[in-house]
Amino acid sequence: TMLKGMTRLISRVHKLDAGHFLHTGSQAPQNVAAHLDNQVPVESPRAVSRTSESDPAKHGEQHEGQHYNIPLQDLKAVFPHGLPPRFVMQVKTFNEACLMVRKPALELLHYLKNTNFAHPAVRYVLYGEKGTGKTLSLCHIIHFCAKQDWLILHIPDAHLWVKNCRNLLQSTYNKQRLDQPLEASIWLKNFKTANERFLSQIKVQEKYVWNKRESTEKGSPLGEVVEQGITRVRNATDAVGIVLKELKRQSSSGIFHLLVAVDGVNALWGRTTLKREDKSPIAPEELALIYNLRKMVKNDWHGGAIVLTLSQTGSVFKPRKAFLPQELLGKEGFDTLDPFIPILVSNYNPKEFESCIQYYLENSWLQHEKAHTEDGKKELLFLSNTNPGQLERLCAYL
Amino acid sequence: MAAAVFPAWLALQPGARTLRAFSTAVSPATRAPTPSPRTTERTSKYERPLRRKALPPRTEKMAVDQDWPSVYPVAAPFKPSAVPLPVRMGYPVKSGVPMTKEGNLELLKIPNFLHLTPVAIKKHCEALKEFCTEWPAALDNDEKCEKHFPVEIETADYVSAGPSVRNPKARVVTLRKTEEWEKNKTEADMEEYVWENSSSEKNILETLLQIKAAEKNLEVNKEELLGTKEVEDYRKSVVSLKNEGDNESTLSQYKESVKRLLNLT
Repeated sequence: TMLKGMTRLISRVHKLDAGHFLHTGSQAPQNVAAHLDNQVPVESPRAVSRTSESDPAKHGEQHEGQHYNIPLQDLKAVFPHGLPPRFVMQVKTFNEACLMVRKPALELLHYLKNTNFAHPAVRYVLYGEKGTGKTLSLCHIIHFCAKQDWLILHIPDAHLWVKNCRNLLQSTYNKQRLDQPLEASIWLKNFKTANERFLSQIKVQEKYVWNKRESTEKGSPLGEVVEQGITRVRNATDAVGIVLKELKRQSSSGIFHLLVAVDGVNALWGRTTLKREDKSPIAPEELALIYNLRKMVKNDWHGGAIVLTLSQTGSVFKPRKAFLPQELLGKEGFDTLDPFIPILVSNYNPKEFESCIQYYLENSWLQHEKAHTEDGKKELLFLSNTNPGQLERLCAYL
Repeated sequence: MAAAVFPAWLALQPGARTLRAFSTAVSPATRAPTPSPRTTERTSKYERPLRRKALPPRTEKMAVDQDWPSVYPVAAPFKPSAVPLPVRMGYPVKSGVPMTKEGNLELLKIPNFLHLTPVAIKKHCEALKEFCTEWPAALDNDEKCEKHFPVEIETADYVSAGPSVRNPKARVVTLRKTEEWEKNKTEADMEEYVWENSSSEKNILETLLQIKAAEKNLEVNKEELLGTKEVEDYRKSVVSLKNEGDNESTLSQYKESVKRLLNLT
């Protein structure tokens, strides 16, 4: 009996040690995981929360609820912009990027795999309440398309282009419209990082004159246009417009597949918070970026797909509880996007919730001693109402 | 005297309203001209005109199958002695009942339709018939009426209970006639969503035409495209989405119809 007591004491000390380990460092989570492996019968949490299948093309219903890993160098290449800020922090903390495979994304993947590139581009709209995972589902899709070698045209948050913009210039191309040099140049930089390899392959099909001294000849690679936009910030907006126009025109030819991914597409048809110097409000279509983007999400081209999300977070002049398509898009937006496939992204179902908790536990994110008990899980379920965003925020405190 | 007459009345009217009879029996039917010894009285009792004894109310003599329109031929105030109904009206005192109809001001105040019983109305119609002409046989459906007589006035009557007889809603009268400026009604003014000629129809037509063009199938025409079942489903779903707003069922219906239309599995 004394021996038993001793072993029990030792195992308890081990456990305490593990706890200390977790508190002190975030280094080598694999070690800790291995430690835990020895302590606890481990096949259930791993199988529930993770899958080793890291190619989105092979994700299917059997992977539903499981997290798959995106290698970190892929992350930089595919998502120079576009991941939600809290997720970026999580990636930095855990030192790995794992996305959960969920039904809406699986559904979209299925449609995309069966895309008929000769038909006009189909529009898919992800909608749902705040914090349910629309942006991350979009990122899942983008990862898939990047792996399949599509050209990704990703606008991470269209709301950024309709609010808080300084330095609006009158457009040189069309006097009625306004340029946004800062936003355009930032976007061009990120676009270049994401699609490096295409920029030399695609050639522009007409000559563009920037000013008296500079012009881009017909047949030169698209990368030149992008460079021009990045270096000469004044022409950045026009550069964006040209990029969009060329891509739209050429995707139909079949050299590449084009994915247009816009997060917060309802910004294109809402109101802006921007005003001119005489304090008169600016309508979205008077902004050259918005005007050109609207042309991109119409279905008068083929050779790709258009995936959009509606987002109330960051939108202007929309009530907080609004999430349904017609509420956020308005009449004009709905009529422009019609016909589209609406895909609802909802809160976690029990399996996904369990998987998420397991993932956090594995990464030692939940330090509270009751976190892994049934009661603790029930409490978290109740508090977060299975809303993924809310759960993430709650777990950040534990 | 009253007691003696009582059974005779009962015999006269088999559906005897005993209560009423009782009340009339009880009510002071006669007032014997007994002089009250008052000093203010000027005239002597023999000069004062003798008041007649109050006759029994007319209701006693009414047969059940009498001709009611002759009792109330026109709109007249409520006469308790002429209406053979044991009607009560009024707010009762504590542990009491509403007041009877004799001397009841409430019954006098409200309008009554005793002159408009169905029988009376039938008689009116019969009388008016000889002054009417036939409905023109050519106006046998609504469209012809609309065409020849475009002006329509709509009045509404309301039956409601309340402190006042009048209902303010009854004052609303609509005049219906198409005016010149109504032709300028734009889409934003429409009360409900009409699919024909809408941008949704144009969009779907464009999309379908492009699909067909991609499949090198150029001999389709517009009506054929719009007449298929998928387009019909799509039209229904868009109309319901616009008119009813977003909810789970309309959105899922829309999604299914778009999927079928664009041939997505």
